Amino acid sequence: MENKNGLNDNNTFAEVLYIKMVSINPGLADLELYEFQYLLKNITPELGWENLKIIPMKDLEKLSQDENTFLGIQLNPVKREKIILDEKILCLDQILMFGLVKEEYPIEWVNDHFYFDIRSFCFFFRTKYFSPETLKHFGNQPLFAFDQKQIQFDHVQEIGYKEFKNANQEIDQALIKILNQVLTVKGSPLLITLAGPTGSGKTEITERIHNYFAMNNQRLTTIEMDNFYKDREFRDGKPYGPHVIHYDLFIKAMQDILAGKSIDIPSYDFYQALSSHDLDGNLRDGKTSIHIEPADIIFLEGNFPFYLPDFDKLIGLRIVYLTDDPIRLKRKWRRDIDYRKKYDPVGFVNRFFRTQFLRAKEIYVPLMKVSDLVVDTTAAKLWLTPELANEIHISEKVAR
Amino acid sequence: MDSMMRSNLTNEEKLIVQDSELFAQVLFGKMKQITPAIQNMELFEFKYALENLVPKSGWETINLEDPEIIEKRVNDDAFYFSILLKPVRNGKKVLDDQVLNLSQQILLGLALNVYSTEWVLEHFYFDIRGFYFLHKTRYFDQEIINWLGGKPFVAYEQKQKEFQKLFDVGYKIFKEANRSVDEFLIRLMNEIIKQHSKPLLIALAGQTAAGKTEIVSRLTNVFKEQGLSVTSLEIDHFLTDREERELKGIDSLGKEAFHFDLFIRALEALRKGKVTKIPEYDFIEAVSSHTTDGKLKPGKIMLTVFPADVIFIEGNFPFLYSEVAKIIDIKIMYLTDDAIRLKRKWKRDVDYRKKYELTYFMNRYFREQFLMAEKAYIPQMKKCDILVDTTEAKVWIAPPFQKKFNLSENKHS
Repeated sequence: MENKNGLNDNNTFAEVLYIKMVSINPGLADLELYEFQYLLKNITPELGWENLKIIPMKDLEKLSQDENTFLGIQLNPVKREKIILDEKILCLDQILMFGLVKEEYPIEWVNDHFYFDIRSFCFFFRTKYFSPETLKHFGNQPLFAFDQKQIQFDHVQEIGYKEFKNANQEIDQALIKILNQVLTVKGSPLLITLAGPTGSGKTEITERIHNYFAMNNQRLTTIEMDNFYKDREFRDGKPYGPHVIHYDLFIKAMQDILAGKSIDIPSYDFYQALSSHDLDGNLRDGKTSIHIEPADIIFLEGNFPFYLPDFDKLIGLRIVYLTDDPIRLKRKWRRDIDYRKKYDPVGFVNRFFRTQFLRAKEIYVPLMKVSDLVVDTTAAKLWLTPELANEIHISEKVAR
Repeated sequence: MDSMMRSNLTNEEKLIVQDSELFAQVLFGKMKQITPAIQNMELFEFKYALENLVPKSGWETINLEDPEIIEKRVNDDAFYFSILLKPVRNGKKVLDDQVLNLSQQILLGLALNVYSTEWVLEHFYFDIRGFYFLHKTRYFDQEIINWLGGKPFVAYEQKQKEFQKLFDVGYKIFKEANRSVDEFLIRLMNEIIKQHSKPLLIALAGQTAAGKTEIVSRLTNVFKEQGLSVTSLEIDHFLTDREERELKGIDSLGKEAFHFDLFIRALEALRKGKVTKIPEYDFIEAVSSHTTDGKLKPGKIMLTVFPADVIFIEGNFPFLYSEVAKIIDIKIMYLTDDAIRLKRKWKRDVDYRKKYELTYFMNRYFREQFLMAEKAYIPQMKKCDILVDTTEAKVWIAPPFQKKFNLSENKHS
């Protein structure tokens, strides 16, 4: 059967692009060319590739640092009753692919500034989590570095818990040893804040730590920071800070549990986007609080900035648990799309593209500059401030 | 309705039904026996996935029917015709109630030991990515086995077994797993083509995602290397507008879903070595270039098909109807198990083509696999010359065809 004209050009384009793309994402080598063509078809410009205009590399780099690029991303734009890729994301994809085929963009440059996710079939800006300031804060070198086991994920499109946990075995064990040391030096109860982007592995590491201390008959409790949220309707549009949470209840709860008392905290219902407590901090009729027993180690976990007035001095250890964006994305494909079926897959891509940058800028990058410890699971590196390393008398030898 | 959900549940059963944590734990253990892919999951991943199937008012509200009643229902086409493709609840597209209820019953029945894992495995398969149960379609019956000579012509190692642990299946690994049967078929066709006059019309029937396009493209290359001209006619191009088919409830079944007269006309022209024009189906918009009564729509054009030495006719039921079957020289059935095809479609139609909304895709597959097997594939199996079963890694050849081309097992295996 003869097809309409133009297809031949598209075929050549696909072939040239495919070779380029394999060197950007080696996982694409597992695809047949025509699988790649199916994917490419979804984002092929209606007027053909040749009508695209190359954007200078400098301008794209500028866009990657501009908050407005991300604020402008629509989460669920609809066309013909279907959620579609945001126009800006689509445009970026098309231009990068066209630029690669035309050899306007060197592969190294693309790799430096973007990563490509196969299941999204989309380029994402690489977020830089480590600033020069942060590196300096951690004495310019990690306390130690292990084999980067997550490299094995290059050839999978989604990642389940088991293989992720196995890949992080060494670095997680090292973190546990450090925690043990901190506990010895600082004594209990110890309040630890654990922040990390969604999908970075906070739940798994908490579980590991929990198992370890339970074996040593030490009590550990985890408090989800999210439970202190006020109703979403009230929070909408406001930045993170004391006013979006039940701040007085929060401070009181932290003080009490550190004094060895049991506490009752609000609970936040994500489905209804409502707190168990009203805006004045009173328990609503028919709602219940969460009861928490005293513990030796208290983990405060969340995607929260955690630098709140009066609170900072209560924290015994500030941890940021990081996993690279492409890996988190593959974890979320499995967890949030395949298992939870939480979002429309295309809407999910828009959301991840938008929030990875905004969250990093708002929460993680600033938080890293004031944290005591950063675990980077993808680089398999653990960073400690020289002050903390000194205080707990730890060196690379002890950690191993 | 007969209920096996006795009001006098044992205390242990009550505990399981009422304690969601315990329920998940017990079920997790059972489901590992049903689907090897679940062995790779952590309990809390299992719970995430299970969440979507938990009945709103608790597991105790699910009525467990007698296994015989369930068996009867899932073997009755009325059940499948009643599956809604796009039901909406609270403004969201959802899984059809009956599809959901079947999975809920099986899960609860497994957790409470009311249904044995053997019974479940005999009648159902579990798709890990959709996280739901589907009926296991039986394609082979005694009549088909007799027609195909009582035993397969050749049988190889079942490489597709390695897909049990996967969520989805891409082309490369599928092709690799089918290497033995595919290469056998290529050798066989090479033999036959030498003995046959031209043009040769080869019809290849197979379910959606069975692997038709791949094998046709491999055979095409082989024939072209021998200097033969080859063309292919995709029956799907003769489909009428999808919206209209869905309204009428005829989907992709039956002559009325197609521009059948135009199809016969095209075949006859190619048979005589003439150029022919056929309708074009737009797979993205799901509309035909022709109106349902066979007229070219304004602004649309027809596809041109040139005559060739070898003409492939590819589709879901190229030789179901005797009008077509009698024009065809070689009738091949290319079969892949429902569970594997679904994994292929997750990758191809959902991840790659982004063709379907999720619950629509799941409802539709649940519905179509049975109806299409009954209306299209099983009847064609009863008249095919060659049957390739990729999942079982077997090739069957009907004895009359073996005789006609003087085929013997020793020569080909």
